Amino acid sequence: MKKRIFAALLCASMVTAAFTGCSGDSGGDSAKSEWAGETLSILVSSGWMDNRWDDVLESFEEEYGVTVDLQTIPADQYPDLLQSKLTTDSCADVFWIQSNPFAIESVIVNPEEYCIDFSGAEWESLIPEARLSSCKYEDKLYGLQIYNNSPDCVMVYNKSMFEEHGWEVPATYDEFKELCGEILDEGITPWYMPGADGWQHQLTFFQIGGVYEQAQPGLYEALNTNQATFAGNEQMITALEQFKEFSDLGYFGEDWIGTDSSNLINAMAEREAAMVISGSGVIKQIRDDTGSEDEFGMFLEPFVDNQTFPTNPSGPTMFGYNKSEHPDLVKEYFNFVTKTENLQSILDNSPTWTNLDILDDNLEQHWLPEEEEFMSQITDEQKATPVLQTGTKYTNDYWNQFGQDMVAYVQGTIDDPNVVLENMDKNRAEAAKTANDPNWQ
Amino acid sequence: MFSVSKTEYGIFILKESGDRMKKKKVYPWWFLIIPLVFYVCFFLLPSLLGVGFSFTDWSSRSAVDGTHFVGLQNYIEIFTSDENYAAGIGHTLMFTVISNIVKLIPALLLAVMLQEGLKGKGLYRTILYLPSILPFVIIGIIFRSIFNFDHGLLNMILEGLHLEFLQQKWLSDLNVVWKSIFSVDAWRGIGYCMTIFLAGLQTIPKSLYEAAEIDGANFWQRLRYVTLPMISGAVMINLVFGITYGLKAFDIVYVLTNGGPGHATELLTTYSFQMYSTGNYGMSTAMNAVLLFITAVIGIIIVKVMSKKEVQQ
Repeated sequence: MKKRIFAALLCASMVTAAFTGCSGDSGGDSAKSEWAGETLSILVSSGWMDNRWDDVLESFEEEYGVTVDLQTIPADQYPDLLQSKLTTDSCADVFWIQSNPFAIESVIVNPEEYCIDFSGAEWESLIPEARLSSCKYEDKLYGLQIYNNSPDCVMVYNKSMFEEHGWEVPATYDEFKELCGEILDEGITPWYMPGADGWQHQLTFFQIGGVYEQAQPGLYEALNTNQATFAGNEQMITALEQFKEFSDLGYFGEDWIGTDSSNLINAMAEREAAMVISGSGVIKQIRDDTGSEDEFGMFLEPFVDNQTFPTNPSGPTMFGYNKSEHPDLVKEYFNFVTKTENLQSILDNSPTWTNLDILDDNLEQHWLPEEEEFMSQITDEQKATPVLQTGTKYTNDYWNQFGQDMVAYVQGTIDDPNVVLENMDKNRAEAAKTANDPNWQ
Repeated sequence: MFSVSKTEYGIFILKESGDRMKKKKVYPWWFLIIPLVFYVCFFLLPSLLGVGFSFTDWSSRSAVDGTHFVGLQNYIEIFTSDENYAAGIGHTLMFTVISNIVKLIPALLLAVMLQEGLKGKGLYRTILYLPSILPFVIIGIIFRSIFNFDHGLLNMILEGLHLEFLQQKWLSDLNVVWKSIFSVDAWRGIGYCMTIFLAGLQTIPKSLYEAAEIDGANFWQRLRYVTLPMISGAVMINLVFGITYGLKAFDIVYVLTNGGPGHATELLTTYSFQMYSTGNYGMSTAMNAVLLFITAVIGIIIVKVMSKKEVQQ
């Protein structure tokens, strides 16, 4: 008898639950319920969609009754995996690339086949002109870049610590080297270098592209037309030699090759490290995460006596997969995330961003005083040249291989810095030939 | 009807022939069709196609520009390139040999130990087998954390035991990185090999050990003259599995070092994956074809040796 009552109660509760579920669905916006129950998959490299996106994704799920399957891949594995997914026709509905004006052609290769054409979408007007070149190919709009306009990948340093020790911000390599020696003598790691991430240490070489162009005006153009090579470039060789010298002197810490960025914030907040190459947003993150009361500042990376600003209108950019089972849902997703309230949510929930480079007057930006102070010191001339990976073709595609070669050079398995540069030339030539670039025929 | 025939090893065997044999067949021949179709479609054909594509310039642009025959160009590139793909082949072979040594010997000793009257041996067996069911990605994340120089568990334990001189840059020192990979690989694989050895050990009659003991054989003599010959089948299975695993190893290196530091731990498979990811599919398939060739040669040698041993037994 007890069993029967229990079974009856169980049945009743199941039926109630089922009806509750039905009523939940029908309660939504009927115009948008055509996708209810479907899954929108997103393939992204780690760090490109951190928790700043959580609320937006949750709202999207609630509003459309769909599930978002977020596939976050470690950064060093992402380019390989994405290529495999694209070529085997198994990509997620939305995928991301580190885009720049050449990336759509060189990374996605065949955007017409793989990407949804968003030309004419309302959100196109939100993207600043400088960033549109990273989102369009042959006048068709494929990508959506929601990124910040903060000084990115410059030297961020602990200003309080510098003031306490009487350390000056360096402007030349010699000053920089001397400073790092003094910092190390205090038992502090001068420069936090997360080599195990696989993509950060290359910044020391590529972000100072302006100094290469300054020494040899027209270099970028020559590199893009196969009239010049990386190999033999004196400034580039110097940059690699100085990088190795810093590594040998222990200025990146005892095991920078095995260190990842997971402890960066703590190391900076607890004064274990004095500097890091990063965006200004890291200052916000240090304060938010640790409550540190230290002051932080920024200066330009002084390798090869560089004093140019790393202008870089590129960034992680999302694309709709053309072979998605529900392209309309993908388009709806892009429309959804570009609504003012969702853009605001992305900004407000971002651990590092202080602004969005989006043309929406209703957005409330949160610029840091440090950013405003730093940018006020940068002249237009210093901003004239983009970073090397954005200003030259086929370069960014070999970012990881270049990083591996840099490590091999530092460890001595490649004994000549010029070999690192030759490898880049060879890879670029290979990519150019594959792309049928007439300059490499 | 019976007939007598002599095999290539000089052994006479009795064969049943004619209608009677046909009648005794339990399963009809067409049962083979389904597995054969799967084998041809999903293994043989892709392998042959892969070898075919290795002679072409197949790339990410092929959808636009077409694919062209380039002869042996990809193979010449593999063996002459500055990229040192030959080192990748060398690393692959080294990994195969060493990973088997560091797994099979401890696995055998553990199996012998757990076969004998050890208290709680069931629990130990389970614990030792557990790592082999963990996915490589999880293992990679766990061990990258454990091996961290500054904050990793291993160096912290060594520090706690005042053994600082043993602290290492486990995944970034060129002299240590391979040892770290082999350790993790052994940690994961020993339990699996041990299980196969245990299955072999179960089949050895106790009377053989009793007889050996009466004859005064010590532990090592029993192992050498009783255990090892009797579990040669299990040894062979472990060797075949281990060698094929070693030759196609990818995951363990990919998740721990991704071929680094620099290119120090690149295998043929990691190079192949890199080539594929940069859109050089022709080169990638050529590397896989080289791997296929090496695996096939070693596989044939193993099968020949196994057949000989079986006949001798």
